Amino acid sequence: MLNQRKYTFSIILLFLAVILTGLFNISLGSVNIPISEVTSSLLGLEVEKDTWRYIIVNYRLPKAITAIITGSGLAVSGLLMQTLFRNPLAGPYVLGLSSGASLGVAIVFMGASVFGASFAVILLSKWSLVIASSLGSLLVLFAVILASIRLRDTMAILIIGLMFASLTAAIVSVLAYFSPASQLQQYVFWSYGSLGDLSWDEVGILSLFWILGILISIGSIKNLNSLLLGEQYARSLGTNIKKNRFAIIIATSLLAGSITAFAGPIAFVGLAVPHLIRQIIPSANHITLVPAVIFGGAILMLLCDIIAQIPGSEYSLPINAITSLIGAPVVIWLLVRKRKFNF
Amino acid sequence: MKKIIFIFLILGILSCKERPQQNDPDNQKGKTVEIENATGFSITKFKNYSIIEVNTPWPGAQDPFIYLLKEKDAEIPKNLNFDQLVEVPVENIVVTSTTHIPALEALNEENTLKGFPGLNYISSEKTRKLIDNGEISELGQNENINTEVLIELSPDVVIGFAIDASNKSFETIQKTGIPVIYNGDWTEQSPLGKAEWIKFFGALYGKEKKAQEIFKEIKSEYLAAKELAKTANSKPTIISGSMYNDKWYMPYGNSWQAQFIKDANANYLYSDTKGDGSLSLAFESVLEKAEDAEFWMSSGQFTSYEQLFNESEHYQRFTAVMNKNVYSVSLSQGETGGILYYELGPQRPDLILKDHIAIFHPELLENYELVFYKPLN
Repeated sequence: MLNQRKYTFSIILLFLAVILTGLFNISLGSVNIPISEVTSSLLGLEVEKDTWRYIIVNYRLPKAITAIITGSGLAVSGLLMQTLFRNPLAGPYVLGLSSGASLGVAIVFMGASVFGASFAVILLSKWSLVIASSLGSLLVLFAVILASIRLRDTMAILIIGLMFASLTAAIVSVLAYFSPASQLQQYVFWSYGSLGDLSWDEVGILSLFWILGILISIGSIKNLNSLLLGEQYARSLGTNIKKNRFAIIIATSLLAGSITAFAGPIAFVGLAVPHLIRQIIPSANHITLVPAVIFGGAILMLLCDIIAQIPGSEYSLPINAITSLIGAPVVIWLLVRKRKFNF
Repeated sequence: MKKIIFIFLILGILSCKERPQQNDPDNQKGKTVEIENATGFSITKFKNYSIIEVNTPWPGAQDPFIYLLKEKDAEIPKNLNFDQLVEVPVENIVVTSTTHIPALEALNEENTLKGFPGLNYISSEKTRKLIDNGEISELGQNENINTEVLIELSPDVVIGFAIDASNKSFETIQKTGIPVIYNGDWTEQSPLGKAEWIKFFGALYGKEKKAQEIFKEIKSEYLAAKELAKTANSKPTIISGSMYNDKWYMPYGNSWQAQFIKDANANYLYSDTKGDGSLSLAFESVLEKAEDAEFWMSSGQFTSYEQLFNESEHYQRFTAVMNKNVYSVSLSQGETGGILYYELGPQRPDLILKDHIAIFHPELLENYELVFYKPLN
């Protein structure tokens, strides 16, 4: 009980940290905008330069919200997958969702060179990318669900996910081989991930998926706890394993699929955040873990975005380079320091 | 290859013995061909052979390549060092970049073109006709040349280009005895420097004079246009490049593209930057700096404003977009989707410059029809 109180306190702290890093994230960027102007922009007051107001309200604010959604959504998906497969190496993409998405996107960008020029009529708007990416993820998802209905063993789903990843990667490489540099470049830019090019409409749609995914995750907390004891034991507790597995897969797909569609395949966060949180809050109870992971993911993503923007300089870095660059050493350091791996 | 060189050397030695002393090729004096703007190559002409030295086959190359172009039955000195030997005039050629096509056409030698990797990229109508008649073989896609098809074609020479020193497929081709020579036109920074590479092709066909005349004409047109631009009363502000995700890729101030903006008497907002490739800038910094730029000369994929706004609504903040002053090279395409600017542009900087002047200072070139840059729909 005493521990639980400590954990609740940590979760409250994490939540406050999300608010702080969020404000920090909005105040920093390539263009130096005074703090007073940032607050006026956010509160809808008079701003000295209209461009500043535009940057804050229509660029940095949606970017910060996207960072919160992607960070938290991927982190929760990672936690769900790690618990479902009882494998510390699992992440939001183990089901092959991002591979499916990348196949969809690769076909949009590079299909013309293989399927002939008539294919190029597809309007390269943002929606076509989102739709292609979602279709790709859905395709893989259906295959995984079909497999999970047939298979008794959860581990087999893991293998099937990996096989899908290999399959799609192979098709993407064939497409890439036949594509001109400019199209290949577009695909590569997409694969870097990006938080900053979502309009308010897109942020709205992404939020809907996020809310759904998070609600299903919260609803699965009890079942996640029983899964940790092993499938046999969970059955004896009266847990419906197949239904349960299905809910977890759907939650992950909603989160990881929509995030990949709008922000690209953001690397590392989903795998690392659950481990970071477990090191800070050594609890196995998902009532504690789920909210902590949500807040932890948001904080990490906001911080990575601040670094990627290189405040004060005109240059910026792709978000995917930063997530792993910053994340990996932190996880290594934590594990070495603790000497004990909580999983 | 070595055997062939050895045989030539032996032949050279044998024939030397029968000739009087004054014709000894070792005593020939070379004449340097005048190269005014290009920095990547030099040509030295001897009596019946010439030497092309390509010193920037790719950026940062250590050693120059020395190519010996010799006329049929010509004798060459015994102690010449060279990387590749080509017999001229060339009758069958394979080129690998669309930028090589306009030079062949200008020299009336497009009929010698026997193969090309990625035929769909070629836009020129003259060469497209030859492709439609099946006279030019497809050699595969992009930089992955199908070696077998090429060996079967066995051209007199392959004009390659290389990004860096590792060029496995060209090395394989050389081993079969087909000479590969590197063209470094794309490493030139100045517009006239790129165009001057027509002299490189001139030497291959024994048409040095014609190549010189063509270049002279282009150069004088370019300089005249530049002078004309100086008489303009305004100096509009310009941005270039385009945005992927939320990063804007902008050509450096010392780039080829920026040179045209400068010579067209306009103010490129990033003219003080230096480097290779493109700047990758955060969107917000571009918005702050370039929101009021008058023209946007885009190299992006967009052909219409609708596409632009589909991609990102942030574009609506830019004055150039609101005033419909966005021009793109993507609207001038060949029938199979190749972009004309990338093919003909390097060879005809005079036309690119005139496009710029006609857009920035319409009063100076009133009845001029744009070649590469077209306004978005």
